[in-house]
Amino acid sequence: MSRRVALVGASAIPIGRHQTADDESLQVLENEIMTRLVSEAVQDAGVSKEDIQSLVFTLPRPYTRQKYFHTFLVGQLRLACRGSVMEVMGNGMTAALAFDKACDEILLGRAEVALALGINMESAVSAAEHMMSSMRTTGDVDFHTSAGFTPIAWYAMDAMRYMHETGATREQLGAVAVKNRHHASLNPLAQYRKPITLEEVLAQRPIVEPLGLYDVPPRGDGAACLVLASEDVAKSLGRPYVLVRGRGFHHDGSHQINDVPNDMIAFDAAARASRAAYAHAGITPADLDLAELYAPCTIVEVLVTEALGLIPRGHGAHAAAEGETRLGGRIPVSTSGGLTSRGHPAYVTSLYNYVELAGQLRGRAGERQVKGARLGISTGELGNYNAALVHVLEAIA
Amino acid sequence: MTLLSLVPASGRRAYPPRLSAFTQPFWAGLAQGRWQTTCCDACGRQTFPPRPICPHCWSDQVRWSPLSSRGNLYSWTRIHAAPAVFAPEAPYAVGIVDLDTGIRLACRLLDSADTTWKPGMAVEMAVLLYEDGPLFAARPLPIPSE
Repeated sequence: MSRRVALVGASAIPIGRHQTADDESLQVLENEIMTRLVSEAVQDAGVSKEDIQSLVFTLPRPYTRQKYFHTFLVGQLRLACRGSVMEVMGNGMTAALAFDKACDEILLGRAEVALALGINMESAVSAAEHMMSSMRTTGDVDFHTSAGFTPIAWYAMDAMRYMHETGATREQLGAVAVKNRHHASLNPLAQYRKPITLEEVLAQRPIVEPLGLYDVPPRGDGAACLVLASEDVAKSLGRPYVLVRGRGFHHDGSHQINDVPNDMIAFDAAARASRAAYAHAGITPADLDLAELYAPCTIVEVLVTEALGLIPRGHGAHAAAEGETRLGGRIPVSTSGGLTSRGHPAYVTSLYNYVELAGQLRGRAGERQVKGARLGISTGELGNYNAALVHVLEAIA
Repeated sequence: MTLLSLVPASGRRAYPPRLSAFTQPFWAGLAQGRWQTTCCDACGRQTFPPRPICPHCWSDQVRWSPLSSRGNLYSWTRIHAAPAVFAPEAPYAVGIVDLDTGIRLACRLLDSADTTWKPGMAVEMAVLLYEDGPLFAARPLPIPSE
């Protein structure tokens, strides 16, 4: 029997505006937040400091003054390790990769307990200034950025194409934002919790047509720590845990756009990665109880639910508007509130998705608990879902 | 050879592309209206943007070849929230174009108040000639009257 990995502990700060401007007299320091989270997550897991042999951090934003944050923090924690200590980077996939590489440390036998953790601070930097950096992340910096493309512009083009092909409406996409805000209203970690109506979503100023302010992710700061352990260690702890049942990855071999025309809204990488994860877990999409997706915009959630086989192709927007993906619906999606309302501190966003699944699959999600939740799925991605990393998690009581 | 119309644009490009010894002929040609990319002699496939190593078969036997000036709009958006250097131009439209010869690319769209963009519509490529150099862009077919 090969080794398996369990998620045994989690902690996170509420997503919001934590970063201080340079001229403020009292500064918020990343290391002070992070050491507290490590302490809380390890306590939640019931493991001891000496058990931890690997730490996989998400790369901090360039605005974080302390460089080499990972090894600096290991120093703050006085944590001698024999596995690995590193920062990982994979654009929007960064936090999903941190989780995945921490799993690998355990699968390879380098550690019995590993941490996946990180902090993303950016809210004190204006959106226009931040976009000067983010515009260089999607597409070709010479051939695309010169035309003014921004990361979410590509998702907006997905929305235009989807509406053209399926007849889906602006209102149906907006229903995703309303649904996720409702979920966020029940989540203490969420950035925006005041319920909104469809009329309010449609009345927002356009950001990238046809998407308005509430269809796109807010910017925010966040930090989280996950404790992963070998299945043997997890069993020894004597409390509920979450087993990593399946994993799948696919990169479609293109960066943002393929010069050989393809179906850009099929999100083929997500389809392939999820099929690999289902096969690994020995399940079908119908077995899932909830999905916690990396979906920066309303349209992305619609397209990913289709690519994962949760909703038939072309029906995602309609299904969302009909409440199929709402708490209490057929397959609850983004019970945390998703990237549009729970928040999107980009490099740690997927950590929050695992935090949500850790809560749901250990029966600790409070008012937003999916009753009897046993199997959940998470996704991470980069580009226009040119690559996807998918994990299937299972509740073990 | 494919020649595109030159459309004068005011000011300088907000975020100009870099030139390399390899891409310089593309941008210098574009400033003259020449619309071309690399084609691989080993596998016969065109690539866009132009690349010195064929992405399909990794041969370095590539040469310049003409692109089609016409195609269809696959999708588009109008960007209202823009990075600092593009803010003076916002809102502006961008899109994805499938050229008749089978190449897909992304570019600026020549937008105007009376232009209705729609996926599937016919478009023509044109050169936006700024004071400091060219960018490629697409406009509707038939071309709206000036």
